[in-house]
Order: sequence, then structure tokens, then C-alpha cells
Amino acid sequence: MAKRRLRIALAGNANVGKSVIFNQLTGLNQIVGNWPGKTVERAEGPLHFKGYKIRVIDLPGIYSLSAFSMEEIVSRDYIAVEKPDVIINVVDASALERNLYFTFQLLELEAPVIIDLNQVDFAAKKGIRIDAEKLSEALGVPIVPTVAITGSGMNEMLSMVIAVISGEKKLKPLKVRYGKEIEKRVETLEKLVSSKLPQLCMVYPARWVAVKLLERDVDVAGKVKNYEKGKEVLDRAEKLAAELEKIHGEPSPVVIASERYALANEIAKEVTIVEAPPRIGLEQKLDAMTTHKILGYPILIMVVASMFVLIFIGGNFVSAGLEFLFENLLLYVEGVLSSFLPEIAVELINKGVLAGVVAGITIALPYIVPFYIILALLEDSGYLPRAAFLMDNLMHKIGLHGKAFIPLMLGYGCNVPACIGCRIMETERERFLAGFVVVLIPCAARTVIILGLVGRFIGLHAALALYAFDLVLVFILGRIAFKVLPGEPVGLIMEMPPYKKPSIRNILMKTWSRTKDFIYIALPIIVFGGVTIEALALSGFMDYIIEVASPLINGWLGLPAVTGIPLIFGILRKELALVLLGNVLLQQGMVLQDLTAIQMIVFSLVTMIYIPCIATIATCAREFRWRKALAIAVIDIALALFLGGLAYRLLSLVT
Amino acid sequence: MKDVVSLTSLREGEIGVVAHAVGGFGLVRRLAEMGLTPGVKVKVLRRGPFHGPFQIEVRGVALALGRGVASRVFVRPLRMESSG
Repeated sequence: MAKRRLRIALAGNANVGKSVIFNQLTGLNQIVGNWPGKTVERAEGPLHFKGYKIRVIDLPGIYSLSAFSMEEIVSRDYIAVEKPDVIINVVDASALERNLYFTFQLLELEAPVIIDLNQVDFAAKKGIRIDAEKLSEALGVPIVPTVAITGSGMNEMLSMVIAVISGEKKLKPLKVRYGKEIEKRVETLEKLVSSKLPQLCMVYPARWVAVKLLERDVDVAGKVKNYEKGKEVLDRAEKLAAELEKIHGEPSPVVIASERYALANEIAKEVTIVEAPPRIGLEQKLDAMTTHKILGYPILIMVVASMFVLIFIGGNFVSAGLEFLFENLLLYVEGVLSSFLPEIAVELINKGVLAGVVAGITIALPYIVPFYIILALLEDSGYLPRAAFLMDNLMHKIGLHGKAFIPLMLGYGCNVPACIGCRIMETERERFLAGFVVVLIPCAARTVIILGLVGRFIGLHAALALYAFDLVLVFILGRIAFKVLPGEPVGLIMEMPPYKKPSIRNILMKTWSRTKDFIYIALPIIVFGGVTIEALALSGFMDYIIEVASPLINGWLGLPAVTGIPLIFGILRKELALVLLGNVLLQQGMVLQDLTAIQMIVFSLVTMIYIPCIATIATCAREFRWRKALAIAVIDIALALFLGGLAYRLLSLVT
Repeated sequence: MKDVVSLTSLREGEIGVVAHAVGGFGLVRRLAEMGLTPGVKVKVLRRGPFHGPFQIEVRGVALALGRGVASRVFVRPLRMESSG
């Protein structure tokens, strides 16, 4: 049989096990976005099955195909414009009604749909069985029951994909029909659309365009406007939608959504067999405990605290070992290179390129990897939405909602994934607002400085005071940004998926793909930055910078002028700043302890606030564009210097 | 409309039938898409701490709604133990 190339897309709600299925299908060779189910980027991976070469595309987890979020627009445009060969609609058997709402919209897009009825085991636990055959009859598309976490049903599903492709299995998809009043208007508009906008109908089904226009979909209206006769169609749609609203007394999208849900309810009822009353299992008890008014908070604190203890203890251990290994390796490489290269080149390669690579590895492996593992564990088990639930009220104070707690917490590990994590916020304004406060959260590297300098030489109370100050700062700045940025705050509407036993395989796969992503973004930038700064130092330009910066560093901040060097290098890797601080002081015949308590606090405070490392800035630029990333950097530098100088003066007064 | 109250006035365990939602176009639409359409039954599972969010069950799914969002959803209570 000749090899054939196929494209299949996975589509469905969030929390239905879509990313697990994607991992099962594609294994380790994926090109992937970060928060599965929560990113705009699409994850893609290859798959070979029965002589077919298949590209699997994982669309974001969404609840609808309206223009609510970028994720929804990206998904529907991909389905309509790129027309994948098959769409596997992953449906949660334990929440059929809500999932069918989405399925109907796929059917309205006239996409070739196969339904993966997932989590049938979980549904059984809830005492529910779905009659797959009946459901298949009702929808006119094939249905394959699966338990993705164990891989059960995957082969059958792929065989079904092939059967549909080869024409062995015919699709007779259900035509989603509405009540008389809506249907009449949809049909009128559909006729108008297909006669006036033939080009648009080559891409999108006329009926779908008609329904979307009746729903007052801004994105589709924008597309229609581009056509010569678009205005005529839009005017008509507006009139029809207004009529609908007059009849039902509700906004037209609500009217249409209600009808879709009514149909979903009808079909779900028909095919659902309630076999046993739901058992009150461990999941419900866990749920009650972790969202409890009082008990919930100590649990949240314990979870977060043990996460960091694990990361730091484990990370320090591995990091020390790796550093020892690489130090010797670097010495060896230096020896080899010196034999045939001039000294300057050796320095540049060693301290610039290699040190950067080593830095990336010694921090990425020991701190980021365990961090990602624990994060995946919290995600897959379903704890994160509970944490968001508990923190919603507090987050509202800075104009965000509970979900923002998740990237904020990630920030304590590393700002890079935290910035990417801001994508879970719904609107662009919310994302930027979250990103703005996230970079102020002291990451693991900054914690190393705070603990290693202030904590070690002044005492833990001083270090904790710095953290507390940081939280206050986050709160104040968040509030200011929230007032200054235009736009309305968005309230929390979030699904609380039931607790589930996470799969080790899925956790490891997630960790791997995220680590890979981190290395791709961070490493080149760290290396490039390392070479640049090393070149500045070698050319003697650094001394000049230090001299120019001296009034600022020495005069304003009250620090020895040489500390400008670790502050500048800190842009690359903040925990490097502490080592460097020791080195430059040593050149002056001093040790860390020779700094006064005030100097230690000022140095730590400045490193805590001034721009997060270069990798974070690059990530911010990727997420929010360069202009906003630079704005963040400039604000943070100015703030750090201002507060540093202020602290120096105030503390000098007190002591 | 008589007997229509905000979702926030329901206590834990109480059930209401959605009458309508009040708010911006985007919010009302989003709520409908998440299943909170007029006529559907919602059960308050949990009232969040410190004037916090609501956890509700609708169409077999648990949702968290911020307090502000929940206060914009109006329901007809099915069972009210007292008129408080």
C-alpha cells in the first residue's frame, strides 16, 4: 500500500484528557506549546499507523467555537481553512451534555468528525454508562470509547480514522437544527450569504456563517465586511438578530446557545444509562477538604511550601554535583583550546559560550525539571483549579481573578514558565497585567541571592521581611497597573474538574516537552548575552561602564562601585550575581561579610526587583511583544534603583 | 419578575433555575456557553471563603464563578427553607 500523508486534529473541551491522548499518539517527537490545553500555540507530532504518515495537531482545549478568546478563533480557523483530514473530537463521557455543545459546533462547521468518548472509566465510577451505538446513530458519526490514561481504545480509534479516510466508513453527520423562529432566520441568511459571498463560502459553510452572524460574532462579521456585498448581508443579519432578541427577550447568542444546549440535553438523556447512584468517593472528600473555608488555606500553604522545599533541597544537591563536574570539564576544555587559540578567544569561548551553556544546564536540570514535574502533578491531579478557587478573592484586589494565582506561583520557581503561564488568563489585558506582576516575583535564582546574602549573614527574619516587602510591592503595583490599563476586569468562570489519579507517563512527557521548550528559548539568549558581556569585559569597556555607573551605584545606592559588575551580569542569570559579587569583592581584598547589613539588603532588594533575567524579557517579548516587554524592563529597573536608594537612606537613618 | 433572586443569595446545597444573567454582552454570552442558559438547574456546591467565588454544578459539571459573576446570574430558587 502506498504511504499516505494525513493530518488529524484533536479538538475538545479542556480537562477531557485531550493532552493525554495527544501524548499517547505522538510520543516524544512533538513540537509543543507549554500549558497543554491552555495555549494558543498548537502542539504537533508525527504518528505512523498502518502505512499512513499522520501529523497530529492538538488544538487548544475550549468550550465553544465563538470569538471569545484567541484559542477559539485559532481553532475554528484551523478547522475551516486548513481542513484537516479528520477531526477527533475528544468528549468526556462523564459530562456528555456540556461536551456535545462543542461537538455540535464542529458539526456546524461541516468538519469530518470522529468522536473519542474518553474517560468512560470515570463515568462508570459516577454510575453513568453511555450507549455509544445510540449516540453514534444520533450524531451520524463514529464513536470510539477510550480510557486514554491507560491507552485503551487508541488502536480502535486510529483504525476508525483510517476507515473514514478510505471511505469504508461513511459519515452522515447530524444537521444541527434550531427552533422555528431561529431556523427560519438562519435559512434566510444562509441563502443571502451563499448568493452574495461566494468566495467566503469556499472556506466557511454558508449556514455556519449565517448562524455566527446571528450570534453577532465580531470576528465573522469582520470577515464579511471585507467583501463588496458584505454590508448588505451584515445589515440583514443585524435586523434578523434584533428580531430574535425581541421574541426571546435575550441576547441572540444566548438564544442560540440555549437551543444548542436543549438539543445536547435531549441527546445526552437518550444515550445515558444511569446504572448506580454516584458513590461518594475519595475524590469528593479531597475536593471538600481542599476548597474548605478554613482547612483549604493551610493545605494550600503546605502544598506550595513542600513544593519549594523539594525543589530547593533536590535542586541544590544536583546542582552542586553538576557544577563540580562542569568546572573540571571547563578547565580541561580551556587547556585544550589554549594550545592552539589566542587567549582572548579562549576566554570568549569559555566564559561566554560554554559558561552560558553550563549555566543553562546547571539551572535548567536541577531546578526547572523537578519544578515542572511537580507542576504537572498538580495540574493533572486537578489541584490547581482548587488553589485558584481559594485565591480568587485576593487576586481580585489587583484586578485579576483566581486563575492568576497559578502563574504567580510558578514565578517563585522561574519567571520564564510563569510568563508563558499567563496565557491562561482570558483577555490580552489580563495576560499583560498578570505578566507585569509575575516578573516581580522572586524566582529560584533570586531566592538564592536573598537567602545566600541576607538570610545567611543578617538572619532569616531579614530575608523574610524582603519577601514580605516584595508581596506588598506586587500588590501595590498590580493595583496601579489595574487602574492605569484601559479595559474591564474579567470575572472568574472556571471549570473545576474532578480529582484524578495522574499518570506518570503523562507527567514525564509534559515535563520533557516543557523542559525542551525552556531550553530552546532560554539557552540561546543566555549564551548570546554571555558572549556580549564577556566581550565588553575583555575589551575594557566594562570598566568604563562601571565608572560611568559609579555615581548611581556608589552615590545613590551606597554600594561599592565594583558591585556594578554583578548587577550587570545578573541580567543573564541572577544567582550568578552572588558568585560574582564574591569575586569582585575579593579583587578589592574584601569578602561578602565585609558588606554592611544595609549594603546587603540594598543589593538583594535591587536584584530582586530590577529586570528579571534576559530569558524572561525574551519570553515576555514573545508573549506580549517587544514594546511591552521593554516597558516592563524599564519600569522594573527604575523602580529597583529608586527603592534601593530609598532603602539605603531610610535604613541609614534608622541604624 | 417575581421570586427571582441573585445566585449569591442561595445557600450551599440549594438549587435554582436560571432566569437570566445581567451584564456585558461578553459575560452573558460566556455564561450561556458554559451551560448557564435560561431554564437550566444550578446547584450551589460551595460558597467560597472571604466573600470569595461560588462553586456550582450545572449540566453535570462543577464550575467556579467569581462572586461578581455569580451576583449577575439570577435564578428562581427551587427550595427555600426560610425566607432570609
